Amino acid sequence: MSIEDLYTDIILDYAKNKKFKKEIKNAWHEHGKNLSCGDELELYVKLEDGVIKDASYTGHGCIVSQASASIMCESIKGKKLSEAKKIVQNVLNMAQGNEYNEEVVGDIEIFEDISNYPMRVKCFTLSWHTFDTVLKNAEVKKDD
Amino acid sequence: MLLKVRSDFDSLSKKVNGKDLIYFDSAATTLKPNRVVEAIEDYYKNHNSNVHRSPHTLAGEATTMYEDARDAVANFINAKREEVIFTKGTTESLNSLAYSLSKDLNGEVLISTLEHHANFVPWQQLFDNVIYYDAENGVFNEEKYLKLVNKNTSLISITGQSNVTGQEINIKNLVLKIRKINKDVIIVLDGAQLIPHSKIDVKELDIDFLAFSGHKMLGPMGIGVLYGKKYILEKMKPFLYGGEMIDQVSIEKTTFNVLPYKFEAGTPNVGGAIGLAEAIKYLESLNVNEVYSHIKELTSYAIKKLSELDFLDVYGTKDTNHNSLISFNVKNVHPHDVANLLNDLYGIAIRSGHHCAQPLMKNLNVHSTCRASFYIYNTLEEIDVLIEGLKKVNKILG
Repeated sequence: MSIEDLYTDIILDYAKNKKFKKEIKNAWHEHGKNLSCGDELELYVKLEDGVIKDASYTGHGCIVSQASASIMCESIKGKKLSEAKKIVQNVLNMAQGNEYNEEVVGDIEIFEDISNYPMRVKCFTLSWHTFDTVLKNAEVKKDD
Repeated sequence: MLLKVRSDFDSLSKKVNGKDLIYFDSAATTLKPNRVVEAIEDYYKNHNSNVHRSPHTLAGEATTMYEDARDAVANFINAKREEVIFTKGTTESLNSLAYSLSKDLNGEVLISTLEHHANFVPWQQLFDNVIYYDAENGVFNEEKYLKLVNKNTSLISITGQSNVTGQEINIKNLVLKIRKINKDVIIVLDGAQLIPHSKIDVKELDIDFLAFSGHKMLGPMGIGVLYGKKYILEKMKPFLYGGEMIDQVSIEKTTFNVLPYKFEAGTPNVGGAIGLAEAIKYLESLNVNEVYSHIKELTSYAIKKLSELDFLDVYGTKDTNHNSLISFNVKNVHPHDVANLLNDLYGIAIRSGHHCAQPLMKNLNVHSTCRASFYIYNTLEEIDVLIEGLKKVNKILG
């Protein structure tokens, strides 16, 4: 596997696409950071009746982390929380090189090779772990 | 003059994606010469035992080797053997010192934003009266720094060389000037980046403490040194309590061992100390002046070549004080992506990130940088490959 498999045109396009790079007012907001490299991410998730109406991010990071955040926002937008939870679980499995459901993961499968780059897995998973925290907080809120 | 040492390092025969490994990450940790690896292997195979405890043959051999290693370090930095305390590394040396002194020092502690976290956080966390020298654009200015020294300064801890900008600080000159302002101030030198390529003579520099790691100067990981002037060490309380550092223990009271054992609680890293001593012998066999000249030649060449690339931001000074490592960024490209591409396409190992120096990152107005660092086994041709690699990275992502 070569580096070109990681830096595909699609991934570069997602990293440069500013569509989801913005702040959303009155949304769930979570801060994520990779302590070892200093990359930071602000994730905004707008929820309505258990459905993700909108998602976006701001912050700074490498191509892998920016593209991952961008494709994540695209993938979870319009999904029910239960569906989004399944996506997160399967994507994190994929990133670790474990078994995952291809149908659930969908287009995010372009990052399938990330598990072959152990030093970049944390770049890829930053947005997903941050989103996972949003989901857990939403569940706690629901149980209140 | 380039050194003919590459055959001493088996690691250099490694291939990365079919390319010859180019190791430009020695500021993080150096490769190890074969004789250092063999010395550690010999200890564990033939002499392994605990030290200073039992009267059997192996214990005697291990103790002799461990104490010989201390002598080697003492000679290397021109200290007395009882002034050499083995630690896990620079971080433990500085933390132990800060803890030991924290209850007894009342004046100001001066540190700088040039420091890596190991020489910043312990002082910040353990002392109430810390004064910060903020380097402008990552450049140390002696005159401005000295304005922060006064009669109330009790301790100064400073790096001999920045691990981000590569700037070397003229410690001898600085200490002389500090002593003129306040002769009693305790001066701590973080030698982690300097000692791998420069002679540090603690007497000549007139520093009170020196901290450094073995693994950045060809030795193994997990071994380091805290040097301290004997009369201060004798007054200091130990930070770690346990085996070997005690004299008499009873319910009523505990008294402590003599130097340096007072500060070496528990079973020490004997294999590490032996490996470090072998690394010192190897460095001495090369001649420290030749090592310095070699690193200087590589750095000057790299600064010249990197400065010619208009798509790069190069940090730190461009003068002769800049040595052994260079931080840079490819404009509009994240350092992780640069490092990943250089590795996969050219087999070049560089560091990317904040280099455990976040105050300096803030000072340079960046989140992170790429860092190429050079050592005795690197060549000018390898720097040419780095230049080629950076051009390629800029073509792909810039």
